[in-house]
Amino acid sequence: MTEKITYYSIDELMAVCLARTIKDGDTVFNGVAVPLPFTAIMLARKTHAPNTVFWGGLLAGLNPEPCFLPPTSGDSVMLRDADPVLHLSQIFDLVMRGELNRVFFSGAQIDKYGNLNNTLIGSPKNIRVKLPGGAGGSHVGSFARNFTIWSVRHEARTTSKGKPVYNFVDKVDFVTTMGHRTDGGDRQELGIRGGGPDVVVTNLCVFDFDEASKIMRLKSLHPGVTIQDVVENTGFEPVIPEKVEDSPAPTEEAIRIIRELDPLETRKRGFSSEALKRRYDL
Amino acid sequence: MGIFPFRDQKIMSLSEAAGLVHDGDIVAIGGNLSAREPIAMIRELIRQGKRNLHTVGGAHGVDIDLMCAGGVVGTVQNSFVGFEADLGLAPNFRRMAEAGTIKVRETDCIAMMVQLRASQFGVPFMPTPVVDGTQILGLSTDFRQITCPFSGERVNLLPALRPNVAIIHAHRADNQGNVKLYPPYFADLLFVEASDKVIVTVEKVVAREELKHMGSNIPYYEITGVVELPLGAHPTSCYPDYSYDRAHLSEYVKAAQGGPEVFSSQYLEKCVFGPRNHQEYLELIGGEEKRNALMDWHQDEGRWRELMLRE
Repeated sequence: MTEKITYYSIDELMAVCLARTIKDGDTVFNGVAVPLPFTAIMLARKTHAPNTVFWGGLLAGLNPEPCFLPPTSGDSVMLRDADPVLHLSQIFDLVMRGELNRVFFSGAQIDKYGNLNNTLIGSPKNIRVKLPGGAGGSHVGSFARNFTIWSVRHEARTTSKGKPVYNFVDKVDFVTTMGHRTDGGDRQELGIRGGGPDVVVTNLCVFDFDEASKIMRLKSLHPGVTIQDVVENTGFEPVIPEKVEDSPAPTEEAIRIIRELDPLETRKRGFSSEALKRRYDL
Repeated sequence: MGIFPFRDQKIMSLSEAAGLVHDGDIVAIGGNLSAREPIAMIRELIRQGKRNLHTVGGAHGVDIDLMCAGGVVGTVQNSFVGFEADLGLAPNFRRMAEAGTIKVRETDCIAMMVQLRASQFGVPFMPTPVVDGTQILGLSTDFRQITCPFSGERVNLLPALRPNVAIIHAHRADNQGNVKLYPPYFADLLFVEASDKVIVTVEKVVAREELKHMGSNIPYYEITGVVELPLGAHPTSCYPDYSYDRAHLSEYVKAAQGGPEVFSSQYLEKCVFGPRNHQEYLELIGGEEKRNALMDWHQDEGRWRELMLRE
């Protein structure tokens, strides 16, 4: 008999929320630095979306069955038991043809329209922090039908001068991946084919986007999180509807699958240690 | 893109092959993130004091960071340089980009593929569906938008990008320059066809008959030079031969986080300038014991997992 699971933690709840953004039959790709989305995609394939067409990173392994999830997405465990391995260019061609349903992006800064910054903090002429870069984010974000945004650091920090610093900002320092609207216009005005971000999953809550303003709208709160917590940790005013749901609790089966999929717990990387300590009853 | 028909001139020494790279060259570095990067050749480029190289490629890690620290890079045109959630930001790359001592030409994995493909196809540019809103377009003259003269549709255009030299690390070659590369290929086969010269370092040179049996996937005439360098991708992986050396990379990142002087004394002097040849490097990193540990990843899952967590 398998042992009863009594609790889950924030990384597991987020993996479940991310997995819910995948529909059965979707084509899904993820590239670089992405242990948590890998967990979510594999979970979706093992639960409600077994026909997800999934490329496991830049190795271009199709529908892999890795025996663990790797800390570096370049590892060949993501080719294990894959359907015949394709060339990376075949994935990118499919993306350009508009046949990718979903991809998962995070950002060092994320703004109210879902614009993502993975390039630099400061300005191009005065770079304060050089970030690694967007990988395929600027182009895949234009071509994919939709993308899910995720962040494990939805929080406010205070600088030594007492100034609050947010990861969810009113305006990103640099647009690496376009969300719904930038200074140049919205997606329709610019003639971009892809629909942009539709769901944002953070360590505090889930957002979708207000249809009219295209600004992030609070959809559900994780256990123990209040609307006030979200507001205090967000550098812009999200749309707060009258009815805000609780993020649905994961099933025991989902948590069991996640722990089997990711025995090295790569999904926990990047979270604050306090966030990881919290245990939620199943 | 160059044609190198003389089969008897392919096998070279490491230093001869590095001599094919000239200061200021556009260099496509093969592999990806933590996998199959030609690091032994990169160490030689640093020892030979190359200057002002312009790297091109997709998502990379220690290769580009080491080239930056070794002083051989002027411009980085890669879509991502870092150690992901595994070991974090690339400290040398970051420091030099912030100080302006290297130029970063922001790009994207798909943009890079399209530009190389234009070169591969022998056309001056390639269109893509509209990409907009991203500010990387404004940082470079590589991005234009026009109306398609046939359909009236807006499209983006990217100019052909033709590296002077591609450097890739592969599994096997014969002494005539035919190459067998096992998956994952990343963008290496594209680099081969889009570049003027191609240097391949390989784990092992095998007899032509043996290579025919494996089925080569890069023809000899694309290859300028072949260098046999077992563990030549170390500390990155070269599956199915060996896993990445996370312990080594972890030490690398710690040294790099200490600043340029610390990195120079603790890493460059020790691992790049210290060993007199590749064999001495292999001894330095742990010899037979290390080699076996990295090559035994497939023995059982427990051993493979353990390699992913080594500090």
